[in-house]
Amino acid sequence: MEGYTQTGIQTVHRVGILGLSLLLVLVVLELVRRGYLRERYALLWLGTAGLSLLIGIFPGIITALAALFHFQYLTVLFTMYFVFTLAIVLCFTIVISRMSERNRQLAQELALLARQVEELRQKSEGDIPDSIS
Amino acid sequence: MPRVLVIIPAYNEQETIVGVLASLKKHVPDYDVVVVDDGSADQTASLVRANPPTALVRLPHNLGIGGAMQTGFKYALRNGYDIAVQCDADGQHPVEQLHLLVERLSKDDTDMVIGSRYVADSGYVPSFSRRVGKSVLSRLVDMLIGGGITDTTSGFRAINRKALKVFASRYPDDYPEAEALVIMHMAGLSAVEIPVKMLPRQGGVTSIRPPHAAYYMIKVGLAILVDLFRRPKGIRGEP
Repeated sequence: MEGYTQTGIQTVHRVGILGLSLLLVLVVLELVRRGYLRERYALLWLGTAGLSLLIGIFPGIITALAALFHFQYLTVLFTMYFVFTLAIVLCFTIVISRMSERNRQLAQELALLARQVEELRQKSEGDIPDSIS
Repeated sequence: MPRVLVIIPAYNEQETIVGVLASLKKHVPDYDVVVVDDGSADQTASLVRANPPTALVRLPHNLGIGGAMQTGFKYALRNGYDIAVQCDADGQHPVEQLHLLVERLSKDDTDMVIGSRYVADSGYVPSFSRRVGKSVLSRLVDMLIGGGITDTTSGFRAINRKALKVFASRYPDDYPEAEALVIMHMAGLSAVEIPVKMLPRQGGVTSIRPPHAAYYMIKVGLAILVDLFRRPKGIRGEP
């Protein structure tokens, strides 16, 4: 019944947290190194991994929160990871929204410029076959 | 004489586009016409080339009706037009009444003129789901902008240069008509409506189907409420 007391965090859980955090750091760094992940988004993940490491090193944070809210510490742990995930997903949807707005502006500019090029081409050499768009 | 541009957003409209272009040539020969091909996969573009309007602008991929209209607005602005009129490619908009919108706008006391379907003799019967969604939203929008517009979702509308500038920097992606009224209102511009008689669809398929009605209501409702709390300058990152 050790896990259900509020006094301390089980060693196996602590090792798990530390292990997963370090693994996350290594995976993210490797992805950046290979060029699959851009630095600015890697920071999000490294921040998450950093907080997770902090919890592993100072498990008192978790047990204190658990005592405060009258939760078991595992619940607090899962809730924290869930909030991290939510924050990252929210960041991604913000990034996607901004990208789709830029994509729209680019598509419109491209279409208007292509039209202008076509017009100029027809004006300068009327006999060239229309090969644009 | 103001320079008038008719903007036709077209997405897979091969059945009707030629008829609409011919009808424009017949009824309003003085107006320039731009077709914005919103990434059509059918014969729309080649049919337009065979019956060339003033210009054909082809988007590289489908942006939705709002993105296509905004392309037309940008074209109008950059080419110095005084008035832009939206005319659907499906043949539902009565081209022979298009000059009424322009004449009303030329009185210069308003920035947008809407051709309204909801008058006694307009002969327009929308589907049930469309009616419900539209009436709720219509009332909401009309209330927000201070009244006077019964047909807030009609796409048959003419705008002046002031409104062109507003819409070139900000225009909704899909189902843009109602939200556009709120954007205009927040920018300090005004709109009036005049009755027109709409035609039934001449071919092709409508873009609003019943499963979309719920999405339509929620999306547009949310967008409109957000618009009210937005600073008038436009969204972040917009020039």
